[in-house]
Amino acid sequence: MEISIIQAILVFVVAFIMGIDQFSFLESLYQPIVTCPIIGAILGNFELGVVVGGAYQLIQIGSMPIGGAQPPNAILGGIMATIFAVSLNMEATADGVGAALGLAIPFAVFGQYAVTLTFTFMSGMMAKADQYAAEANVKGIRNLNFLEMGVLGCLFGVLAVAGLYGGSALGETLQQFSYDFSWVMAGLDAAGGAMKFVGFAILMKVMMSREMWGFLLAGFVMALVCSANATTSGATLILCAFVGVAIAIYDFSTQTKIKQNAGAGAGYVGGDQDGI
Amino acid sequence: MAYNIPDRYQDLTPAPQLDKKTLNKMVWLSCFLQASFNYERMQACGWLWGILPGLQKIHTNKEDLKASMAHNLDFLNTHPFLVTFVMGIVLSLEQNKAETQTIRSVRISAAGPLGGIGDALFWLTLVPITAGLTANMAMEGQIAGAILFLIIFNVVQFVVRFGLMYWSYGLGTKAVTLLTSNAKEFTRAASILGIFVVGGLIANYGSTTVRMIVGETQINIQSLLDGVLPKLIPLLITLGIYALIKKGWTPVRCIILILVVGIVGCAFGIWSGNSQAMDADGNTLPGGYTPLVEWYEYPAPEEAAE
Repeated sequence: MEISIIQAILVFVVAFIMGIDQFSFLESLYQPIVTCPIIGAILGNFELGVVVGGAYQLIQIGSMPIGGAQPPNAILGGIMATIFAVSLNMEATADGVGAALGLAIPFAVFGQYAVTLTFTFMSGMMAKADQYAAEANVKGIRNLNFLEMGVLGCLFGVLAVAGLYGGSALGETLQQFSYDFSWVMAGLDAAGGAMKFVGFAILMKVMMSREMWGFLLAGFVMALVCSANATTSGATLILCAFVGVAIAIYDFSTQTKIKQNAGAGAGYVGGDQDGI
Repeated sequence: MAYNIPDRYQDLTPAPQLDKKTLNKMVWLSCFLQASFNYERMQACGWLWGILPGLQKIHTNKEDLKASMAHNLDFLNTHPFLVTFVMGIVLSLEQNKAETQTIRSVRISAAGPLGGIGDALFWLTLVPITAGLTANMAMEGQIAGAILFLIIFNVVQFVVRFGLMYWSYGLGTKAVTLLTSNAKEFTRAASILGIFVVGGLIANYGSTTVRMIVGETQINIQSLLDGVLPKLIPLLITLGIYALIKKGWTPVRCIILILVVGIVGCAFGIWSGNSQAMDADGNTLPGGYTPLVEWYEYPAPEEAAE
């Protein structure tokens, strides 16, 4: 398949936009059902793009990004599946595009790596965000958001254009690479999963006092119990919030009554926040 | 964390109601909640960007704006389409100059549970239904499928975003004035709820596990730990990081520590991790990856009947 420079630029632009849209903006453009027809049109086979999009979408429904877990990336998967389907001139049927989906998987895996690396890098940039906030630097905060969108968009654009020229040979190289260095990517995956504990610890630093430890453990237990049960596991955090609200309201009414009584008695002396 | 966030704002007079234009602007910016998503604070920086137009209107005192911006960078993870609900509540608290700790506790308590509701509503209901129907149209070669999907999805999305913003902002401003007379007690109660929810978050989002299966009898270390206390590792890491931060460690140092421990750990096959890599035949790797140093044998998966 002959690829003109204009087609390559258009593929880059589409991948750039979709790379951003998967987390921000409309969060619906990136779905294969929309992305694949656009790529198909750029490569001159719109109808095939529509069919690949439909087929990929049905696969994708089974793996939605829920609760921070990430499936191998749908965007590069969809874009590359369309590129393979068009370049190999596959039949515009569901069966015909099946092979294209398989060839696209190494690229979907690398799309996921791009996301993992960006999220890891931006975790480090949060110190910069703290600094901008302390200076009331509104533009700085905005620029950090632009930075991540730009980085993600470029990584996706480059991967898509590389895939456009490299084709299935590049796919095999990528697959071999991810096989050889699987422990590094698994390490990043494990570390990424643990970084949220830093965010939790910062929150704890704000709210924690000696008498709060019991509530922390109670919430922990509540979530464990709810998530262990198939019927309640989906609603774990809502159920936690219900119980937490009950405790908080009870505490609030008790504390305000204590204050009123103290006021009626010997006069308000303060220091009632120590409780009991 | 050189900057210490004060407990109270300097200017304690309630700010005037926000105008429609500012509220609408924040709804549009809420689309970029995850623009700077990261593993440490998740949506924090995108959240701050989105809510800034309101904060700038509310905090005319520069020192107060700094304090407000700093605490609005706390860890936050909620559903991107439901975030305007949290925005409305937080704005009403900011407007009434509630104590910073109250705002922080209320924000995390409101945001956390919404994440679960939103996943159930959008990713598990709306997308499968609309995309399922329209994907079949697309498979027959009709582009109308894609257009229909975009229209339905985005109409629902923006109705929800705008509706929740106005509803929760109105609700919040009404409720907050009742609570200001007992501000101290309210802060305490909000902290209890907040810390309760953080406990829940540790168990709910804490996914760190070990991969090791050792010995002749193939003892699964993770099952042993689960027998002691499920989610023991997430709890211990959180408490460990909390201790480090109390000792004065910066979040960046903690992150670098986690990064090093994560990658070195996976080199020795200690942590569970999914590399998404495949061998030449397109099969996924047993245990998610192949460690650099293989000192125990990961059991091969049962051969699929073929």
